[in-house]
Amino acid sequence: MVELGLNVPSLISYLINYIILLVLLGALAYRPLLNALDNRVGSIRESLAAADRAREEAATSRSAIEEELNEARREGQRLLDQAREAAERFREEEMDRARQSAEEFSERARADITRERDAAINEVRAAFGDLAITAAERIIRRTVDRQAHQELIDQVLAEGEQALRRN
Amino acid sequence: MTTKRVLLLIGAASAVLLIVGFVIGAVGSKMFGLEKGFLKQPAIHLEIQPVFPAATRDALLIAGYEKSKEKADSPASDSGQSEGKDDGGGKSKYLGIMEFAVTNTMLSAWLTSIIMLVFFIGGARKPKLIPGRLQALIEMLFELVLNFASSILGPEMGRRAFPVVATIFFFVLFNAWLAIFLIPIYQAIGFGFAGEGGPVSSDFAIKAHLLRPAGTDLNMPLALALVSFVFVEYWGFRSHRFGYLKKFFAFGDLLRGRPSGIINVFVGLLELISEFVRIVSFTFRLFGNMTAGEILVVMITFLVPFVATQFVFGLELLVGLIQSVIFAGLTLVFLSVAVSHEEH
Repeated sequence: MVELGLNVPSLISYLINYIILLVLLGALAYRPLLNALDNRVGSIRESLAAADRAREEAATSRSAIEEELNEARREGQRLLDQAREAAERFREEEMDRARQSAEEFSERARADITRERDAAINEVRAAFGDLAITAAERIIRRTVDRQAHQELIDQVLAEGEQALRRN
Repeated sequence: MTTKRVLLLIGAASAVLLIVGFVIGAVGSKMFGLEKGFLKQPAIHLEIQPVFPAATRDALLIAGYEKSKEKADSPASDSGQSEGKDDGGGKSKYLGIMEFAVTNTMLSAWLTSIIMLVFFIGGARKPKLIPGRLQALIEMLFELVLNFASSILGPEMGRRAFPVVATIFFFVLFNAWLAIFLIPIYQAIGFGFAGEGGPVSSDFAIKAHLLRPAGTDLNMPLALALVSFVFVEYWGFRSHRFGYLKKFFAFGDLLRGRPSGIINVFVGLLELISEFVRIVSFTFRLFGNMTAGEILVVMITFLVPFVATQFVFGLELLVGLIQSVIFAGLTLVFLSVAVSHEEH
């Protein structure tokens, strides 16, 4: 084995060399770097979890905002409908009122016309009676019972009036 | 200058270098009938070579030189078996089994250790949340080994085994790769025995390099194998307490009077032997591969220098990686067998 180089002091020196390497690398390279790798894994895991949470929160808040928007849209629609309904109602009320006042006006006008016409007829009749009496007195030139004549005239006039109304 | 032109120039230079390398290499010299080649035939050393203290180094180099001279003088009488051994006549050219000296492989291991410490501690001592390039590279390397360990042992045990296995993995890898990346330094600096011509003569050749890859020293793989063995057995005991020994000393059935218990005893003994054989297999696998790689590099440099060696360097990079993965992987597999709670 000496020809192959077996030598106990060399062997021990390599063992010591290995142990020194193991201790120094273990303390100053392996442990710090593996701890750093573990910490990095931890921080990456935390960051991913935080990102997931943030994504979930964003999704939740987006759905809340959408819900609020929908609510606002529905509220707006409801208000619009109410306004439209109120406007419709107001329009109908105003139409009714206008129609009613037009009818009243027309009724009043019709009554006025009737009244004016009756008054005119009465006036014409009175004037026509006086005129007829005067004309008859002049034609006949005799004294007649004025009462009897008036009745006769009224009768004639009433007939005449009925004939007028029929026309 | 366009990239295409640069590539063409590099290709042409490589072709020229290949031809020149072929001509001045041992193959070309022989083909063209040159008596003495341009390059000296490299010597292969399996034994460790002390470089400090200088007295030990010089004594062994002189002993080696005298042995080779004796061999050259009387080739017929030398069967090769007695070479180097202290067979009464001369001094041994090998370092004694208990003799201490700083070897060139030991220096290489120290250099590798220093580079590893600077690289890893420099990049990982104060890690940042957003890593720089060096930290990212080291993180990637650590995660590769950690994932490898976790895939075999599970996350918890993988994490526990990581420091030991990662140190083995990186030590083997850095040792193998450093010798390739720093090959000019490894191959050019060394000590030689000048001989008659003196140190500046053309006869002078480096007999012991200042640095030699630590994998080519049997003691380095053996030390790692022992670390792996102790680590595996420690975790075996820690997981099963003394029940771990039942695997090796399975006398239960035999004591209960069952004749089939003999088989269990035999299997247990085989298991026990295989535990120790692992040390040998770990050692010689790494030592053999690293030494063969080194010899291949040296020989191809001697036969066809310059360009052809690049392919061998690539191959050696791959071999270094494979050996480190195998060493670390087998340690993990043996560990997983030792800590598993299955009945054997």
